[in-house]
Amino acid sequence: MNSKHIQLIGVTKNFGKNTVVNNISFEIADNEFFVLLGPSGCGKSTTLRMIAGLEDISEGKIISNGVDITEEDPKDRNMAFVFQNYALYPHMDVRKNLSYSLKLKKVEKSKINQKIEWVSNLLKINELLDRKPSQLSGGQRQRVALGRSLVREPNAFLLDEPLSNLDAQLRVEMRQELTLLQKDLSKTFIYVTHDQVEAMTMASRICIMNHGEVLQIGKPQEVYDKPNSIFVAKFLANPVNNILKSKIIKKDDSLWIESLNIFINNQNLNNLSEIYFSIRPENLKLNNHDQSYNFEVKIIQIENHGHELLISAQLEFDKQVIYFRTTKDKSFMIGEKIKLYFHIKDLLFFDMITERIIT
Amino acid sequence: MSKIHFYDRRFGYLFVSPAVIILSIVILAPITIAIITSFYDYTLINRTLDSFVGLRNYFESVSNEKFIHSAIVTIVFVILVVLFEFIIGFLIAILLNQVERFRNIYYFILLIPLLINPIVVGLIWRMFLHPQLGILNYLISLVGIDPINWLGDPQNAFITIIFVDIWHQVSFMIILLLAGLASIPEEPYEAARVDGANAFQQFRDITLPYMRPVIIITLLIRLIFALKTYDLIYIMTKGGPGDATDLISYYIYRSAFIGLDLGQAASMSVILLLIVCLIIYPLFKFMNRADE
Amino acid sequence: MRTIFSYLIITLTFFSFNANSVTLRAVMENVPDTKFIQELLPEFTEKTGIEVEFEVMGYGEMHPKLVPSLTASTGSYDFMPVDFYWVGEFDKAGWMMPLDDMIAKDGFDTSVYFDSLMDLTGRVGDTTYMLPFYNYAMGLTVRKDLIDDAANQASFKSQFGMDLKIPTKWDEYLKQVEFFTDKDSGFYGVVNQGGKADPIAMEWSNYLFARGGAFHDQNWNGLLNSSNAVDALNDYISMINNYGPLGAESFSFDEAFNVAAQGNAYSYLTYNWFLGSYNDPEQSSVVGKMALIPVPGEGGLNGAWGWSIPKSSPNPEAAWEFLKWVESPDIAKRRAEMGGAATRKDVFDDPDLNAKFEHYPGLKNLLATSKNFPVFTYTPQFVEVMGTELSKAVIGEQDAKTALMNMNNQLEELAEKDGKR
Repeated sequence: MNSKHIQLIGVTKNFGKNTVVNNISFEIADNEFFVLLGPSGCGKSTTLRMIAGLEDISEGKIISNGVDITEEDPKDRNMAFVFQNYALYPHMDVRKNLSYSLKLKKVEKSKINQKIEWVSNLLKINELLDRKPSQLSGGQRQRVALGRSLVREPNAFLLDEPLSNLDAQLRVEMRQELTLLQKDLSKTFIYVTHDQVEAMTMASRICIMNHGEVLQIGKPQEVYDKPNSIFVAKFLANPVNNILKSKIIKKDDSLWIESLNIFINNQNLNNLSEIYFSIRPENLKLNNHDQSYNFEVKIIQIENHGHELLISAQLEFDKQVIYFRTTKDKSFMIGEKIKLYFHIKDLLFFDMITERIIT
Repeated sequence: MSKIHFYDRRFGYLFVSPAVIILSIVILAPITIAIITSFYDYTLINRTLDSFVGLRNYFESVSNEKFIHSAIVTIVFVILVVLFEFIIGFLIAILLNQVERFRNIYYFILLIPLLINPIVVGLIWRMFLHPQLGILNYLISLVGIDPINWLGDPQNAFITIIFVDIWHQVSFMIILLLAGLASIPEEPYEAARVDGANAFQQFRDITLPYMRPVIIITLLIRLIFALKTYDLIYIMTKGGPGDATDLISYYIYRSAFIGLDLGQAASMSVILLLIVCLIIYPLFKFMNRADE
Repeated sequence: MRTIFSYLIITLTFFSFNANSVTLRAVMENVPDTKFIQELLPEFTEKTGIEVEFEVMGYGEMHPKLVPSLTASTGSYDFMPVDFYWVGEFDKAGWMMPLDDMIAKDGFDTSVYFDSLMDLTGRVGDTTYMLPFYNYAMGLTVRKDLIDDAANQASFKSQFGMDLKIPTKWDEYLKQVEFFTDKDSGFYGVVNQGGKADPIAMEWSNYLFARGGAFHDQNWNGLLNSSNAVDALNDYISMINNYGPLGAESFSFDEAFNVAAQGNAYSYLTYNWFLGSYNDPEQSSVVGKMALIPVPGEGGLNGAWGWSIPKSSPNPEAAWEFLKWVESPDIAKRRAEMGGAATRKDVFDDPDLNAKFEHYPGLKNLLATSKNFPVFTYTPQFVEVMGTELSKAVIGEQDAKTALMNMNNQLEELAEKDGKR
């Protein structure tokens, strides 16, 4: 395992009476692509800004490479920050934007030119050097913002939703470029986003936050397959996850899941009368390939997404709505009744009160 | 031009025409009359346009040493007043921009001097500055300073009216500069902090470039108004002592209404107008360049 | 919207009903004499049915307000007070209506006015254009209580070898000023109104006359470079710098008055009507202590306003009614009773008023001996010139001789321009 690069210990941020980040602790290893993921207002940007030193910390410590940097100025932390709105200096041309930090450090001119050349080749912004930010497109500005941070050759890159202002096509391109870039540079990237697609595709580990707290940290596939709470299960979904309720009734030695009308054996559920359960739409199949469980639904809506169909249906028992996906060659009728099949391992249970997973 | 375009434009012109007509009448007509008057021997006792004298009034004005003196006094006054109001106003605007609580209260208090009629400002300050009975000399006597002859000594008087003008007008600068400052986005500053810029460098590399158009407009407007300063002199010093504070507006006024020579006064006004235009033109060009 | 509409209706109705009643308008100066008339106006309206509206303002605003109205064919003002400054200008421009016919027709007696005042704001040449309204001859106000004080009398006698009494000679006055000045305790022998242009010009004219000097001869040759004039200016400079309070170089008359009224000065050369203000407890803390005497020496500066009817008056007949009323013996006496500065000899001879005002005989004497300022078209301009040159001398930018030479030259230039010489 790589050495710890950045540690947050008990970090809290209060704005007056409002606690925006509540006692979070985690570690980021060297060269990780660490993604902070969560809905707006969950505290992820604030956390990033505290790491950068743009916000003061109300309580707790931040350690980088073994050094406590909690009280350090942003410029002394050896980290670069890429802003959501790029924050380029509008009255300087691209060249000056890139070289500003170096000029402040009084780096000699030849070295500055060297770095600018390196960065512009890397990011392919050579033709843009004499332009002002107002003469650049969104994607170009994004590159210049990246370039500005690259030029400083910091130990860590902090990126605050850098792609959220770009159109969908550009976002896909930039996702790939950023991932490649990080691998090339072999540097730690801490990346904040609300877009779970970005998180899933780019992260080495995802840290999901909500209401100022860390809910789960793990590799993308882990967190996807084994969410530890309903929130994570719902949030990491493309486009949607099924989370439904059901009563559980003990019958002989088994437990009867009332809404699905199936019997299962699971000691952890023995003492419960009601639970949340979840099964991802892609895990509901139309055919029985050694899946042992099934239930009946009535189709209520068919959405054609071009590459596949997303179908919503009602459970026979209590009419709760459930989604499943299928290929576009199938045709169904609204009101049609069909059977859906699934693997027991794909069925997750969550506690009614704590909303946490029941393993 | 398509038909819709044509009707659109015509509608636009119609909309604008009342304002343009009124402005032309109220502004252009008097200026034109003044210019015409300046070429005649036109006095208040003999108000007829029957003696055309060409540029004689102008030659007389320019060779009139009192007029020249007034011009110089005015220029020095304007430069000092605008400079100090700008510096002080900018400082206060920067401070005010960082305040969160009670900002509106500070703003309102700072605004009050500007709202007071200049005549009233002059009268109030005359009272405050009375060498024996005024509150200012009383206050400084409490800290052991001798009474100051604020308006009776020529150098003091000049500095005093500058000071009163600053008191009166600095909030004009504050309003405009504060509006400019408030519109600067926060993020370039954060990027600069990360890049390692200190407060002065941030001011020089981010604040000033952003503020350039606002600064130029503010200076321009204040400059033009400062050139016209009249009320303060009329109330506080009548141009004295001696002619230490004889600003050009006051001089022209006296030529017209006491000297009764409107033609002469008109020529001086036209000269003043030309000077103002000369100042505006390069600043205007400078500002347009800043917009790119 | 409703309120505006109803207001409009009411105003129109009012005007239609009052088609026959006239409202006279005039610009008036913000001085006690105006207030006294304002108190009596309701009687005039009752008697004649004519309304009178005053626009009261400071001296400096009156001339600019009047001129546009005078140059119009029909102006905004029906009658006007004319300061002696403006008489030359108004006469040259032909703005005043001759009153001789109206005077003859109604048998108005103008012989009751002091000759000097009729010369100043009554007649121009052989035509009567105005009726003298109030005078502002200048006199010296001194602290009588300090003169009467025995300790002061003893001390003065031992220092200067003469009695301390009401000064009648100029030198005597200068010595008293020196005697009473004690700058450390904040008491000054004199407070001057050295402000440009009007205050210093008016005040210094008294110094010139007191020393026996004059502005010009009958042919308008300037006499300001005489030795009397130089002495008078040096006196003035010395007063301000040695015996007066700080800042007197910029005082207008109310600032100077306040210094005296707050008890900080022995003397103040000023307009005679200020006596009333000295005795008003709301304005002064030296009530009853100030005496008004003629300027010691050979006479002080006369000053007056006259009533005139502009040629552009919308209602000249009604205006003449007002003039007759306000200058009628009865009203003139009542104005004087309230404290007004009368212009008529019969007022000063009235036993009741003499009983009430003990300074009346002195004041009559003052008016009889007052001298006039040069009156011609460019009087205001000359006042400006005097203001600048005197002010420069007082602050030390030029010496007295140079200042007077400049003044003299410009007086002659302006007189030439006016066709006087």
